[in-house]
Amino acid sequence: MLGAITYRRPLNLIAAFNIIGYLFLFFSDEPYNWMTLAVGGAATFIICSACLIIIKRNHGDEYLILIVSMLLSVGLMMIYRLDERLGLKQLVWIAVGLGLFFAFYHIYIKVDKWDRFAYVYIALSAVLYLVTLVLGRNINGAVNWIVIGGFSFQPSELCKILFVFFLASYFKNPDNLFLEKYIQDKRLRVLLNKVLLMLVAYCNIGFLVLQRELGTALLLFLTFLLVLYVFSKDLKLFLLNSAFIVPGVIFGYFMFYHLRVRVDAWLNPWADITNKGYQIAQSLFAIASGGFFGTGIGMGRPDMVPAVSTDFIFSAICEEMGIFGGVAVVLLCMLFTYRGIKIVLGLKDRFKKILGLGIVTMIGLQTFIIIGGVIKLIPLTGITLPFVSYGGSSLITSFIALGILQAISNPKFDRAGGEANG
Amino acid sequence: MFEIILLLVKVVFTLVIYLFIFGVIRLIYLDIKSMSISKTDNVGFYPYLKLINQREMLDFKVEENYTLRKSVIIGRNDKNDIVIKDPFISGIHAYIMAEGESVRIKDMGSKNGTFVNGVRLNEGEIIPLKDGDNIKIGHVKFLFVSIGK
Repeated sequence: MLGAITYRRPLNLIAAFNIIGYLFLFFSDEPYNWMTLAVGGAATFIICSACLIIIKRNHGDEYLILIVSMLLSVGLMMIYRLDERLGLKQLVWIAVGLGLFFAFYHIYIKVDKWDRFAYVYIALSAVLYLVTLVLGRNINGAVNWIVIGGFSFQPSELCKILFVFFLASYFKNPDNLFLEKYIQDKRLRVLLNKVLLMLVAYCNIGFLVLQRELGTALLLFLTFLLVLYVFSKDLKLFLLNSAFIVPGVIFGYFMFYHLRVRVDAWLNPWADITNKGYQIAQSLFAIASGGFFGTGIGMGRPDMVPAVSTDFIFSAICEEMGIFGGVAVVLLCMLFTYRGIKIVLGLKDRFKKILGLGIVTMIGLQTFIIIGGVIKLIPLTGITLPFVSYGGSSLITSFIALGILQAISNPKFDRAGGEANG
Repeated sequence: MFEIILLLVKVVFTLVIYLFIFGVIRLIYLDIKSMSISKTDNVGFYPYLKLINQREMLDFKVEENYTLRKSVIIGRNDKNDIVIKDPFISGIHAYIMAEGESVRIKDMGSKNGTFVNGVRLNEGEIIPLKDGDNIKIGHVKFLFVSIGK
């Protein structure tokens, strides 16, 4: 039994990380707050037991959940330190998300005919977009929330996964998805299929732009391009689509005041530091004040940054855990992406390959876009840092995606299918 | 005093995160190393072990084929060349020596024994394998295949 306590096991280190962090939080505050210990204990228990289930029962790849657990621990600790109420909520979301993670793992394996529902994915995302347009509430300049009985939800998050599913079913047998029975001429059918593919993709992006959700739109577009580049043999189609970036960006820049502000703040946040550049400037101050090892959890003032528990959580991590902590988060995301791609390489089924690659690139790109925005590398777009930021919809979507990736990674259920060599 | 404790906690905290990252990288490295042995593309040039069990019946990860390009150690530890997480397999279970044409097997003092054609190997005993031999390790049964002999 004692042999299990070794620094060699990553799971023990996750537990150690949580225990040290919450104990420090507990003792650094003078009237002792017993809730800190309760939250810490619950978080350690929930996260570690999820890892143990995956490892002991051999549900496919074990490194994905280990990496995600570390990200969750970092995020939850930071959110709890910023706002105790949000931290408790996030803990509940993590528990729900892990439940959904296991549920989707089993559902994916049970159903196993996911490549036949291409029309369902399109219809479902269309319904979600329309519902958002009709019932959507405007929160922070983006019309992308549905509020039902005090319970707010962001449907566009789910559309990301549906879009990846659609791409996977399209490229399983490239350019053969639509109109198979109606048009006999093969060349015409392939051409029409490509047009329809682009139509669906740009409708998705268009609806997101209508909701002012530019970050997710960019994410979807980049994922689409990447899948196109990897799995389509048609180079011209890829070039045509990537050429859309330039007019799209120019159109967006002149169309949306919102976007112009972001670009101005990116170019020079110091010009209008009290207003437009405030967020970025505060974020940069927070990162800079952290130093190598940070100020210590609970010792800094990351609450000066607006939206710090969602979009700007990376600057809070940099301030309180130091640049080493920030780099660790980036490294963890890189490892996650690398591991996902390694899983995809070992697969035989083409549908699963595309699905896996789509999910992995989506999570990887999302990390890049938001961290790049926070450190003023690229213009800021408001999306969440997967598994770290506060936010129910985002967390649950990420967990569903992870559950699907976990199911794909299980070699017991992999069999050849779709067009060979990809 | 408080400053020193704070610095200490911060350093330990950072250390834990990086130990975790290194641990994960090490495990991934070991995983990929064992993958290169189980690749099946060179079957026909080298002798190999073929799984007899139905893979779906075992609740741990095991490959269909293990190519014996060089000598390998089978066991439950991550450091072995062929890692099988069967609870009935010892940490370092068996050693398969492949030297050119001849392939021999040796039990490394395992708890539940190594069986060749149903006969348990004595400790330190080295047995040459021939085509069609049955090898049983824990729950796992392999068929030894050496083509062209």
